[in-house]
Amino acid sequence: MAGVAENSSTSSERFVARDLRIPFILLVLCFTAWGAAANLTDILVGVFRGIFDMSNFQASLVQFAYYGAYFLLALPAGFINKQYGYKTGVLVGLGLAAAGGLMFLPASQLLVYEMFLLALFALAAGLSILETSANPFVIAMGKESTATQRLNLAQSFNPIGANIGVLMGAVFILPALTPEASRAIMSDSQLLASQEADLALVLKPYLGIALVLVVIWLLIFFRKFELPQTAAATVEDIPSGNVAGRLWRNRHYRYGVMAQFFNVAAQTCVWTFTILYAQDVVGVSPEASGWWLQASLIIFLLSRFLMTWLLGIIRPSLLLLIMALFGVVCCVIAIFSLNTLGLIGVVSASASLSLMFPTIYGLALQGLGEDAKFGSAGLVMAILGGAIMPMVHAAVMDEVGPAMGYVVPGVCLALVGAYALFDLRNTRPAISDVAVSASAGDMS
Amino acid sequence: MTGIKSNLRRLAGSLLLAGLGATLGACSEEPDVTIGLITKQEVNPYWVTMREVAEDTAKKNDVTLLTATGTSDVDVESQQRALQEMVAEGAKGILIAPTSSTELLSAIEAAREQGVLVIAVDTPVDPLDAVDAYFATDNEAAGRLVGQYALVKAQEMGIEPKIAMLDLAPGISSGELRHAGFLNGFGIAEGDPAIAAMADTEGDKELGEAKMAEILAEHADVNVIYTVNEPAALGALDALRDANVNLSRTILVSIDGGCRAIKDAVRPGDIDATVMQFPENMAREGVRALATAIRAGENLSGNLDTGARLITGNPAPGVKSNDVAYGVRNCWGN
Repeated sequence: MAGVAENSSTSSERFVARDLRIPFILLVLCFTAWGAAANLTDILVGVFRGIFDMSNFQASLVQFAYYGAYFLLALPAGFINKQYGYKTGVLVGLGLAAAGGLMFLPASQLLVYEMFLLALFALAAGLSILETSANPFVIAMGKESTATQRLNLAQSFNPIGANIGVLMGAVFILPALTPEASRAIMSDSQLLASQEADLALVLKPYLGIALVLVVIWLLIFFRKFELPQTAAATVEDIPSGNVAGRLWRNRHYRYGVMAQFFNVAAQTCVWTFTILYAQDVVGVSPEASGWWLQASLIIFLLSRFLMTWLLGIIRPSLLLLIMALFGVVCCVIAIFSLNTLGLIGVVSASASLSLMFPTIYGLALQGLGEDAKFGSAGLVMAILGGAIMPMVHAAVMDEVGPAMGYVVPGVCLALVGAYALFDLRNTRPAISDVAVSASAGDMS
Repeated sequence: MTGIKSNLRRLAGSLLLAGLGATLGACSEEPDVTIGLITKQEVNPYWVTMREVAEDTAKKNDVTLLTATGTSDVDVESQQRALQEMVAEGAKGILIAPTSSTELLSAIEAAREQGVLVIAVDTPVDPLDAVDAYFATDNEAAGRLVGQYALVKAQEMGIEPKIAMLDLAPGISSGELRHAGFLNGFGIAEGDPAIAAMADTEGDKELGEAKMAEILAEHADVNVIYTVNEPAALGALDALRDANVNLSRTILVSIDGGCRAIKDAVRPGDIDATVMQFPENMAREGVRALATAIRAGENLSGNLDTGARLITGNPAPGVKSNDVAYGVRNCWGN
């Protein structure tokens, strides 16, 4: 907690301590910024495919770089927070993310795809650290009883950012790209000039995000503030004993991590390839395809509210099963209906995705007691699914056709459904049973 | 300390503004220019696409666009009237897809005498120098592409080619150039014994079906079918299905790039390959060229090949092609 002193002032009684209001607003901006950056990246796959004239698989490396960085930096981020405090974590994250955004500048000059991947990796690495630091930072900004509410409020700006990200792509990038038909008659020098012009379009939103991050960095760096005393209690302590072993032997948790992997995979695949499906299968124009992705995110946002209400009347694992099956049906429609109906299927799949992350999170950690703190890291690291499965989806597109790629999220959602079914059919072991069976070396 | 804080706030504000500014494109106004586009008709989506792209390009280039169209591919009168009206309305440049290579020459000449730049798109006039420039598909190259593809596929399948050629009509240059290109690409000359039959379809689906049925009645062993355009190919396909011809042992190729054929016939593999032409390039490049030349006070000259790409889901080794997804993205019509 270096750099951030703690006290027990009366301000800790407020939703957000009085002197922490500005930092809280800045952190909310961070939540917005990483939502924007993440979903702007969904647009980049199709954009880079066109600019660099590459296969879907090569273009999908964008998501591998992005989500791979998120996965790799999750643990180091935890270390930074533990060792140097949340403020340092936030500043390191902001700095690295801003540097990643600024790296788009030399990348767009060099016209090298790998440079863009590197820039995206740096950006996502920074955002990973930022996210890991900002969540507990927000929790620590007021009294413990309002921590969840505070975190929910801050996190609700993430989907707003996600929509802003897609909007930036739909407004600033997609309509202004060189038409593919034009490239069919261009000379080498004209092609090079069009590449430069198109990459300049990609550069602008990322440069904008980077500069906003620099501003937030400066404002946080030069602002002195103290966290309330109660915040100290939120620092996670790893419980004693072989936690990893205990967790691994718990099938509800183990399968939960796998389900989360496939959920993140399905979500990333569905959103990454919505634009490509719209263009390659239905023949929607680049600018209109951006609006279909926007519709997808709005459906995701709205159905989150609906799912929150439904979770109050339907058992979570049952609702998870129903929505997973709905998602599978959406993917099947996308595979076999090669027209606007198929595109509606792709977009509607977002409704099924909306409840999955928090529901799987809750089901997997249910009844884990103190082990839940450590166990949550495994669930967060399941984000790896977002790095790997889009490449599989893209490879299927390259080999069999763009619509058949939706077999991949379809299978992922079926596996999420299988987890929900498992949870419905199997009673959950008490934490003491898990501990006993673990000590006895029982792997069942 | 207050000073430093104030400076930092100012710096932060400047950076924020710069960030926002970086996300906004600069807008610029150019002198207004009026140009016209005259197409053949609007039943065929090819011409609708051409008009829509011209309108979009005109908007992006601060150009006022006048549009007119005829009632059919041979409606000369409407085009003559449109030429006169557009000149009267102050058009400084006109893109025209002539419905006749010769009958519009006097109207075009009258426009050019008034200082109007004229570009023929899609279809040439005769003589070609009766217009300032000509932007169109290289029809010979398009035919050659499908010819090369059919040859390699025939060799790959190990079949002895028996060719049926469903042409346009005598005297229409685009059809004749495509025909010649196909023979060239297939490596045969006119009158080669591999050519089992030829028929004119006028690029019409019903005629294509009828002519294909007639050919099949006399030459049931036809296995390579060239069609001058996709409506003729779709008609031929119906006839092949009616005659229970094994489509997997038949090579059917065409030229056009319309969305209906790409999605309904090329994607499932019923038409093995088609050459896509780009009416949007004719419109886009035509509007840009006219706007640039008029603003600069310069003349236009020369021809522009607006591109041709072979689209297939079943590529032939050594023949450059694009996949069906490319075809769906760039096809014209719906």
